[in-house]
Amino acid sequence: MRRLRPFILIILILAAWETAARSGLWSPLLFPSLERIGKELWLFVSRSDGWWQTWVSLYRTFGGFALAAIAGVALGMLMGRSALVAELLDPLFSGTYAVPKLALFPIFIFLFGLGSLSKVALIFLECLYPMTIITYHGAKSVNPVLIWSAQNMGASRLRTLARVVFPAMLPYVFAALRVALPVALIVAIITEMISSVDGLGYLVSYSLSSLKTDRMLAIVVVISALGLALDHALVALRNRLVYWERLDTFYV
Amino acid sequence: MKIALARVGAVLIVLVAWQLLSLRGLPEFVLSPVEIAKHFVAALGTPELYRDAAASLARALPGFALGTVLGIALGLAAGIARSFDEMLSPLVFLTYPVPKIVMLPVFMLWFGIGDLSKVLIIALACFYPAFINAYYGARATRRILVWSARNMGASEAEIFRRVVLPGALPQIFAGLRVALALSFIVMFAAEMINARSGLGHLIREAENSLRFDLMYVSLLTIAILGYAGDRLIRFLRGYFLPWEESHA
Repeated sequence: MRRLRPFILIILILAAWETAARSGLWSPLLFPSLERIGKELWLFVSRSDGWWQTWVSLYRTFGGFALAAIAGVALGMLMGRSALVAELLDPLFSGTYAVPKLALFPIFIFLFGLGSLSKVALIFLECLYPMTIITYHGAKSVNPVLIWSAQNMGASRLRTLARVVFPAMLPYVFAALRVALPVALIVAIITEMISSVDGLGYLVSYSLSSLKTDRMLAIVVVISALGLALDHALVALRNRLVYWERLDTFYV
Repeated sequence: MKIALARVGAVLIVLVAWQLLSLRGLPEFVLSPVEIAKHFVAALGTPELYRDAAASLARALPGFALGTVLGIALGLAAGIARSFDEMLSPLVFLTYPVPKIVMLPVFMLWFGIGDLSKVLIIALACFYPAFINAYYGARATRRILVWSARNMGASEAEIFRRVVLPGALPQIFAGLRVALALSFIVMFAAEMINARSGLGHLIREAENSLRFDLMYVSLLTIAILGYAGDRLIRFLRGYFLPWEESHA
């Protein structure tokens, strides 16, 4: 009984959904039954178009995410190891942290066009903040004894960064990646919903405007599964690379 | 003093470089800082800006309040009661990496295209950081503190109020900060996707009619609101947690 507990709430919600769908109180447009959502889901995965749209969204997500990861780790490391860089960049980052970068999207459309570039640029900007700020804290909290001993043994500055600081802050880097990856997916979907002709976000708003609620919910399920799978893949990668510090919880 | 100068200096350098670039001629959709400031001051004199800002806040703040209150209450409950934890946490952590904004069209179907669906989607987005931070804050309570409180005859309610809650507060504030930033993002996204008022709607309309000045006015307003909200939370944090050293 005890081992079933984690599933109770999930099963209850699904059962409530199905009851609501079958009660006939609401139109199937509002509450399509699980069966119809499942059918649409099958239709989605069995046709190449669905896979193509998923690829488009993933490509944008990863493009912005990867660029932000590289730039953010570099910036965070520099800020953590140099007081001058930190003093110059910290006010820029902490001052604009709470500002929704999404507001820049219309300007990005004019700058980078309606295609993927404006979306990738916005994903990059939105992910850069958690990447830089968390890496910065990681680089700052490296045990100074490690750095001193590396310097004592004659390591150059660059070598100290690559062989001591970087591995020591790796847990923080993964914490940052884990915050940034869902953000990247969210921004990709939002920008596709606002202005796009392809991608999963576009499919969601397209199915809604053609009143295909079951199809829309099937795509919502696909996006949710994608978010979940990416997060699990990242945790698996983290546990392989940062093997000296296991992560058991679902959240850093 | 030196640090303060460096901080002001970095921002100033960016602004001056931007202004100098605009002298050389920028595309018409990139306004110079001076022009943006001029348009912003002009817009401050019109009632429209206040109406849109008020409409946006009327969506973001109730959503933020609803989501964080629920999230903190349930997160604390799951953090101290095992049966609750085992039932609720799997669902929360399972759906945590899911982009909540995709539920907006679903919510629009259920609750209409008015403000209710937007407030609820903001509440949903804010629930997660509030829950997760309150949960880990409560779980991180040191056993020895609970034992000593119990030893000195504190009731369970007293232990919660005097030991668990103060210990979890720093984490709860961290969650509130994330939730506030999220509430602004989701509010803006929801308004850009579908709304008839608010700052997100204003920026869309400005975009469609190529009113670049209005785009920057909307952008600057949302930036100021976001910054002010963040400052307010940091101020409250300093007020309630004077013993905690705040870090950016």
